[in-house]
Amino acid sequence: QTISGKVTNAGDGASLPGVTIVEKGSTKGTVTDSDGNYSINLSSPQATVIFSYIGFVAQEVSAAGRSTINVSLKEDATQLGEVVVTALGIAKDKKALGYSVTEVKGAEFTQARENNVANALSGKIAGVNATGLSTGPGGSSRIIIRGNGSLTGDNQPLYVINGMPIDNTVPGGSATPNGGQGNVDRGDGIAGINPDDIESISVLKGGTAAALYGSRAANGVILITTKKGKAQRGIGVEYNSTFTMENAAVFPDWQYEYGQGDGAAKPTTQAQGIAWGRRSWGAKIDGSDFVAADGLTHPYSAQKNNIKNFYQTGKTFTNTLAFTGGNEKVNYRFSVADLDAKGILPTNTYNRKTGNLNINGAFGEKIALEALAQYTLETGHNKTGAGDALGNPNWTPYMIGNTSDIRWLSPGYDASGNEIAWNDADIASNSYFVVNKYKQDDTKNRFIGQLGLTYKILKNLSVKGTVSRDFYNYNYTYVLPTGTRYIPNGQYNQLKTDVSETNTMLTANYNTTFGHFGLSALAGMNQRSFNYNQLNLFGSTFTIPYFYSSTNLATTSTVPLNQHTRTNSVFGSVDLDYKGVAFLTMTGRQDWFSTLSPKNNTIFYPSVGGSFVLSQAIQLPRLIDYAKVRASWAQVGGATPDPYVVNLTYSMVPSSGQPLQNVTTNTVVNGGLTNSDLKPLTSTTFEVGVDLQFLNKRLGLDLTYYNRATTNDIVQTSTSPTSGYNSVYLNVGKLNNRGIEALVTVNPIRTSNFGWNLSYNVAYNDSKVIKLADGISSMQMATSVGNWAYINSIEGRSYGTIVGTTRVRDANGNIVYDPTTGFAQKSALQELGKGVPPLTMGLTNEFRYKNFSLNILLDGKFGNKVFSVMEVYANRMGKLKRTLDGRENGLTVTGVTAKGDVYTNKVAKENLRTYYDNDKNYTDLFLHDGSFVKLRQVIFSYNIPVSTLKFVRLQSASVSFVARNLLTLYKQTDNFDPEQSFTNSSNQGFESLGLPRTRSYGVNLIVKF
Amino acid sequence: TVSPDFVFTKAQYDAVGNVITGLQGTMQYTTSYNDVASWGSKYIFNQGTAPYTVFTNAYPNEINEIGEVIRGLEKDPAQVNKLAIAKIWRVYSFSKITDLYGDIPYSQAALGYTKSIFKPTYDAQKDIYADMLSELEKAIALFDPTKSSFGAADLVYGGDTTKWKKFAYSLMLRMGMRMTKPDMALAETWVKKAIAGSLITDDADMARITYLSSGQIINQNPLAYWMLNSDYLKADGVSNPEGGKYYDTFINYLKKTNDPRLPVLSVVYVNGKPSTDVSIQKGMPANIPNTKPADFVTYSEPNQNTILKLNSPMLILSNAEVNFYLAEAAVRGWYSAKSAATLYDQAIKAAMRQWALYGADGVIPQASIDTYAAANVLITSATMAKQLEQIYTQFWVSIFPNSQEVFLNWRRTGYPALIPNNYVGNITGGKIFRRMLYPATEENLNKENYNSAVSRQGENNFLTPIWLDKQ
Repeated sequence: QTISGKVTNAGDGASLPGVTIVEKGSTKGTVTDSDGNYSINLSSPQATVIFSYIGFVAQEVSAAGRSTINVSLKEDATQLGEVVVTALGIAKDKKALGYSVTEVKGAEFTQARENNVANALSGKIAGVNATGLSTGPGGSSRIIIRGNGSLTGDNQPLYVINGMPIDNTVPGGSATPNGGQGNVDRGDGIAGINPDDIESISVLKGGTAAALYGSRAANGVILITTKKGKAQRGIGVEYNSTFTMENAAVFPDWQYEYGQGDGAAKPTTQAQGIAWGRRSWGAKIDGSDFVAADGLTHPYSAQKNNIKNFYQTGKTFTNTLAFTGGNEKVNYRFSVADLDAKGILPTNTYNRKTGNLNINGAFGEKIALEALAQYTLETGHNKTGAGDALGNPNWTPYMIGNTSDIRWLSPGYDASGNEIAWNDADIASNSYFVVNKYKQDDTKNRFIGQLGLTYKILKNLSVKGTVSRDFYNYNYTYVLPTGTRYIPNGQYNQLKTDVSETNTMLTANYNTTFGHFGLSALAGMNQRSFNYNQLNLFGSTFTIPYFYSSTNLATTSTVPLNQHTRTNSVFGSVDLDYKGVAFLTMTGRQDWFSTLSPKNNTIFYPSVGGSFVLSQAIQLPRLIDYAKVRASWAQVGGATPDPYVVNLTYSMVPSSGQPLQNVTTNTVVNGGLTNSDLKPLTSTTFEVGVDLQFLNKRLGLDLTYYNRATTNDIVQTSTSPTSGYNSVYLNVGKLNNRGIEALVTVNPIRTSNFGWNLSYNVAYNDSKVIKLADGISSMQMATSVGNWAYINSIEGRSYGTIVGTTRVRDANGNIVYDPTTGFAQKSALQELGKGVPPLTMGLTNEFRYKNFSLNILLDGKFGNKVFSVMEVYANRMGKLKRTLDGRENGLTVTGVTAKGDVYTNKVAKENLRTYYDNDKNYTDLFLHDGSFVKLRQVIFSYNIPVSTLKFVRLQSASVSFVARNLLTLYKQTDNFDPEQSFTNSSNQGFESLGLPRTRSYGVNLIVKF
Repeated sequence: TVSPDFVFTKAQYDAVGNVITGLQGTMQYTTSYNDVASWGSKYIFNQGTAPYTVFTNAYPNEINEIGEVIRGLEKDPAQVNKLAIAKIWRVYSFSKITDLYGDIPYSQAALGYTKSIFKPTYDAQKDIYADMLSELEKAIALFDPTKSSFGAADLVYGGDTTKWKKFAYSLMLRMGMRMTKPDMALAETWVKKAIAGSLITDDADMARITYLSSGQIINQNPLAYWMLNSDYLKADGVSNPEGGKYYDTFINYLKKTNDPRLPVLSVVYVNGKPSTDVSIQKGMPANIPNTKPADFVTYSEPNQNTILKLNSPMLILSNAEVNFYLAEAAVRGWYSAKSAATLYDQAIKAAMRQWALYGADGVIPQASIDTYAAANVLITSATMAKQLEQIYTQFWVSIFPNSQEVFLNWRRTGYPALIPNNYVGNITGGKIFRRMLYPATEENLNKENYNSAVSRQGENNFLTPIWLDKQ
């Protein structure tokens, strides 16, 4: 017996897609399609059918022999109706939560997509600071929830798929501010997830939400629920295709008055053209002739398009094909996806193929099974470098003399394949040579498998066993070719990394009710094993030139790294519910960490949270439809993620002569000192919040205040090398993050043809280092190239303070000069600003008119500073506008001497280059406000009315025009994008010649059969 | 577990290889047209860590390692010879740092693990010298010929305690001489003490490490490796990535004195082939303003068959060096067993002979050595200043490429009388460096102690005179 029909909203008559329809007392079920239509096969014509939908009152309807049943559901005024996925994948009614959770639906990631799905969170959730990196396709992401909780950890949240954690490491580690060859962003774990497989993402911000995941959840949890199969007739097919193009969008504002050259003269020979290849200290630009590095005569005219001319249009083509199907017993969904990207950096490509299979099944009444298998193959070629000059392809387009066209340097190599010089310093590579002859390839094979079995012992008691394993194998080769000017015989670097994360979990669930109370209890245990095995082969001098193999090297050294970590845990939680009005949740967890000494390797941490639905308990003014208050307190314990930092160890040093040994200085400890007294850290979060709905739910407000304190933070802090070690592991005092988050939703227009939704989120996070270790009031976290700036954590200041020098001034503000050198006196190190923005916000406007919809997202961050390494170089090379002073007649500087006498110094125009170069000693000259507002995302969609296209038998189809990072509406940096970060490590606050930021736009097509 | 022998070998490699390569330029041996690479010869400092490297490398490497060795040996009386050798090596390692920087962390250095000291205080150089010299004396007294010693793990002497004693006394002589400027009387005391002991006065006793031509980088001559890789790999006289060449002062002096070492050290590439023809050797001026000169190929550069050989030795303390110090001692009247002229003659000849250690191309015929020595005798009738000028000018050409030792004696005596390079944009007002810089990171990581060292010693710049440099 089959019945069919349509489900609509009783309020406005609009059709309701996604309504769950089940036959009462059986496992048979289906959901409505995008037009609200359904069809279900019943076991008897007299069966009762239940129609349920989030936010609406469920209806039970007896089929009574009918074959068509149309139902209109009423919105549920009391139950606002959101079921959200919380820890361990447990779906909970949102009103029962004592903490703030935000859910984002998968559709928001699939249309205007980012290659790395985590970057798409930018601006969407209050308190979530997503920083996209400018490292090209396949790059990693940096997500910080409610501020940086630890001084030196990566501070990124834990990623969880369908209840089980996955790995998010960057093989070989993140890029560093001043790293040399092969200093690239190799991509993180979340980058391997295909957005089209995502049903929804829940962000658990606070400690309470995370308590059940243990130590790694201290920085919040991002829960990804993947799409699943459903019972239906035949096989459902969904095809999703997106094509986007991207271009460099931020261009430096150089000076174009004085051209390439040196000492106020333009190059007139090729030797000068090369020697002065990156200097713009020449004569006034006048269109006359000059000789460039290519030896040819060109007009002496401004070349303003070197960024445009060097970088190409990036293209990304993504195709996903998904099949769903199933019956009452087994449902499945299988998808295959291919992402093919060409970066804006010439020769940079990235490909990601994903296969994802999800199966849910029930075997009889008692046993249910869920399984997920995902295989991902990522291949990348010629990822961009950052940091130091050698092999960094971004150097030339920024630094080439301002009257030279970068294309004159193409292809960058001569007939024998050797690099062609373009400037006086061979270390500053010819970018064309880098993209054409350097070889950089990486391959990542990744498999994620999950299997869960639930056994119902009683109707209200079940046990569940889950095993999940996330495994990848990564291979990276970096060839610095023969013929590189700086290293003529070449270098070779190979990295092989095998990483696995295995989680085994056993939980028991019990539900009951007594009187007005509902109780649900959970107890479980978990074991996490993490293995990181790496072989790093480094060699130099290719014996046979131009033949790039690890077997063809004059010298090689191989550094193995094997890390094994295990955490054992037991945990439990109790949820109490009184009449659906008051809720209380308590959790507790005990962890044992293999990374700490047995004398203090375990910690217990509890949490408690509650919520009270005021609007249901008492009569509120009519204006208020819904009011809920919530509060929670939670602790999360944690241990350093690095193993082997407890005891001092010794290593053999590869030697061709006598055996050599030293104190272990591998990449983990990094010349650092171990500490056998380390104990677990504790992160404690307190939060209160209120959730209000007014004016017939046209206006909503969700407010949260939180206070998060980390004590006994385990940090690896840099130490003076004179201690014998460059760093040491310590438990340090206390770090505090307090903040306010607000989400305002407005729904001004709501008719059947036209709708307008507006959502604004804002978060302010105040981070403060309360105490470091005894005798340590400041900790160095990172340094820039040349030690021109530092990132420190200082007692009494916020996390990540930028520290540097300025020009010394006397009481009257005069600059103090040193008469011996003629330069301004350099101050002692001082605090110059915050590296992390305290204020973040996002504004989404969604318009719907009939079949059209328009989604516009604005995103802003405020209050941080960025130190630009690129500008230090640009200043040295005479490209900054500030270097125009004195070009015509020389520069006269006046100030005072240390004694207070008036000091005047005249710098001849021929000597300006060395004079300005000295400015690198004054950090503040290259430090800028990093605040911005960007038009982050625009999606314009048209839902094709497929019902009028009967001949193709489509269920639904939509086509969208999508764009990301379209415009920067506000910024304070003239020469770079304030988001020009090159690493996902905690070293935020430096710009260091990464890839320019891009703007992307394209078309998305979704068709369902 | 720790094996003191293996760590000791590492500490030897690390200490010997830890040099400020920029001093090659400061002592006017080499230069480059490139500003960054030739910071040492142009007294500019654009960027990088070059003036810090000895400081930053020493502590986590040789200083920490030798501390581990001593910690591992201390408790076992049977290991007393190894302990004595390790203590001597510790003094040598520390002297290399303090000589360049002045006040440095010494008594609290490298105690991060054993005492959890992460911010060591800076000791005054005067106190450091006093302690180092007394450590040398104590170490010498420890030697016991009946006990075992290092074997092959000791790259310098294979554990030979007699030779180690000679090294210790020769190091005492070097350090004693170092103090002639701040404290003449103290210098005299220690020089005489050293002379009363046994010194390196035979080629066979010379302290040196021999390297391998291939294999791991740590087993190759670090100075040759650095020079080769920064400039001379292509061996064509043109493709020098850092723009390096010999400095004209050095080549001109060797030419002027018909020094037979010139063809041993220097080549000019003619049609892509190295030529040792003396007549075409030509050093590059150090004032070329950051632009590769058109005649770059015509300048002299290091000889691939001697000074650039990866299996050439590093001379730590040579027979020649000891004889030069003894000549000075004789001139000052602190030593009378031999005349200053004889010691000077012995020093010159030993210095010529030592190039044979670099292989067949380094062998200088005895006749050439004798001719040169005969033409360069010490004029003992001249003033002490004139004699010191002769000794330390000869020291300059003889001790090459050990520019640190030459720099330290130049700072002390003023010889050789180098003419500074007044390059546009230099940061010393056209004066030659007097010391190296503490790392910039010390100001951030060890602020209080850094500040008190700077307030005691003077600003952290290249011209601040350290204790050894104050009359």
